[in-house]
Amino acid sequence: MQVDLMEFWPRILQATNETLLMVGISLLAATIIGLPLGISLVVTRSGGLLENKAFFRILNSVVNFFRSIPFIILLVAILPLTRLIVGTSIGTAAAVVPLVIFSAPYIARLVESSLLEVKSGVIEAAEAMGATPWQIIFRVYIPEALSSMVLNLTIATIGLVGASAMAGFVGGGGLGDLAIAYGYQRFETDIMIATVLLLVLIVQITQTIGNILSKRIRRQ
Amino acid sequence: MIDFQGVSKVYEHNGNDLRAVDQVDLTIQKGEIFGVIGFSGAGKSTLVRLVNLLEVPSEGRVLVNGEDLTRLPKPELRKVRKRIGMIFQHFNLLESKTVRHNVAFPLSIAGTPKKEINKRVEEILDFVGLTDKADQYPDELSGGQKQRVGIARALATSPDILLCDEATSALDPETTKSILKLLRRVRDEYGITILMITHEMNVVREVCDRIAVMESGRVIEQGSIFDLFSNPQHPTTKNFVRTVMENEIPASILEGIEKRGASRHIYRVTFVDESAGQPVLSQIAKKFAVEVNVLFGQITELQGIPFGHLVVELQGEDKEVLKAIDYIQRTVTVQEVKAHAG
Ligand SMILES: Nc1ncnc2c1ncn2[C@@H]1O[C@H](COP(=O)(O)OP(=O)(O)O)[C@@H](O)[C@H]1O
Ligand SMILES: [Mg+2]
Repeated sequence: MQVDLMEFWPRILQATNETLLMVGISLLAATIIGLPLGISLVVTRSGGLLENKAFFRILNSVVNFFRSIPFIILLVAILPLTRLIVGTSIGTAAAVVPLVIFSAPYIARLVESSLLEVKSGVIEAAEAMGATPWQIIFRVYIPEALSSMVLNLTIATIGLVGASAMAGFVGGGGLGDLAIAYGYQRFETDIMIATVLLLVLIVQITQTIGNILSKRIRRQ
Repeated sequence: MIDFQGVSKVYEHNGNDLRAVDQVDLTIQKGEIFGVIGFSGAGKSTLVRLVNLLEVPSEGRVLVNGEDLTRLPKPELRKVRKRIGMIFQHFNLLESKTVRHNVAFPLSIAGTPKKEINKRVEEILDFVGLTDKADQYPDELSGGQKQRVGIARALATSPDILLCDEATSALDPETTKSILKLLRRVRDEYGITILMITHEMNVVREVCDRIAVMESGRVIEQGSIFDLFSNPQHPTTKNFVRTVMENEIPASILEGIEKRGASRHIYRVTFVDESAGQPVLSQIAKKFAVEVNVLFGQITELQGIPFGHLVVELQGEDKEVLKAIDYIQRTVTVQEVKAHAG
């Protein structure tokens, strides 16, 4: 029982839209949360600019805690929270909440590792010039690490594409939802292949854009 | 200008105290180039970092222009730091910014108006000879050029003091020379006091007025460059002097002297500036009834002035030899050398 691909084209297009929307909104929200967390992890650690051992220890454990929960479990476990925030626990908007909670701590770690690549000597030079901690964060750490952060955020985006496909499991919509609904549950292999190819394409394009951006930024 | 008064810096290391800087007393005068030399781990970097309070002293105090910086509130400290430039072994430039923006950076964070920044940057890039590289990025520059950017950046805020932490240690000998020349111009033209640390004797020899030798956190010897070269006291200082100038008489020469039946008239003549060396010896050969036999000699350059010593044997009557020695002692330093003792 084959389905005509052309007939399903509008559905695939809509699912692609949903995926891009989910990934885009989650990425934005997760970065808004993850960036300051990542910065805090760097500046409060021992020997950091604004050393605060207690704060660092707590933040570090919290990030580790959320990083250790598998996405599929997170997805189900926070259903009540999702309902509280978006009013419903199914659909594309509902999928964004677990995606953000999943990727914000991940982005925090990625930002942390990018910032740690900035040579301590450069930070020291800025301190010796009389720069304030805020000036060092915004005018040394971030510009110096930006190119590496963009590459790392690309990795996070691709992770989000994968996770958003899983969000289809709770009726989140998007390409993953489509693949499961038609390909897996109804054995319509064509549709499944088409969606997987689309996901591959999205990942390729994301990585390419990330690489180009990162290279550009190195030379502002 | 910079005054170390009984300064120590103690680090906790696996439960033990590590005295990185130990009871240091040093005074660095305004406008001088002061060198601190020591092997790796001697505590030199820690010592310079105490000046701009990148490290806080555990004991004693450091006065900069008579002021103890530990007493200042943070904003005041940052103001003072703008008056103390610093350059580093690995340059520590902002890789994401051009030469121009690197040099502008300290001015920009100080809130200097844009027009003024541009003017100062042009001026200082011209001083270090990098005007044509203004729009390049650090990774497009050679080591020497990067250090010039480092120097330009350190000078941008017109400091009174320049701290140099192994500023030439990553550079080849030719580039080292040109950077040292530039540092000398920094002192001569801007009157900036320079505190430089290094593990290389040929660096202090070229530019420093006075030096201190550090070992295990302590200053074991200090003095003018000429004093330390002509009369080093501590074994470590002697070792450092020997890295650029052999001042022990080689064993083979000593043996030769003993074999020949040991003349009792062997002297070490130490001189500064060529004019004081060779001519004096030929003069005594003419004026007195002595023969001058040069056994061994070494010459080097201190601050661009020839400095050296000759070990000579004076052959002749005791009376004549003593007269000759008396005569040359007016212009050069003469020490008797005991053949068997070296
Ligand atoms: N932040 C630090 N914590 C612990 N030990 C340190 C620290 N900085 C330096 N030291 C130790 O202090 C000693 C002197 O170091 P340093 O001043 O860097 O020497 P130098 O510059 O002469 O090579 C070394 O034994 C080093 O390991
Ligand atoms: Mg050092």
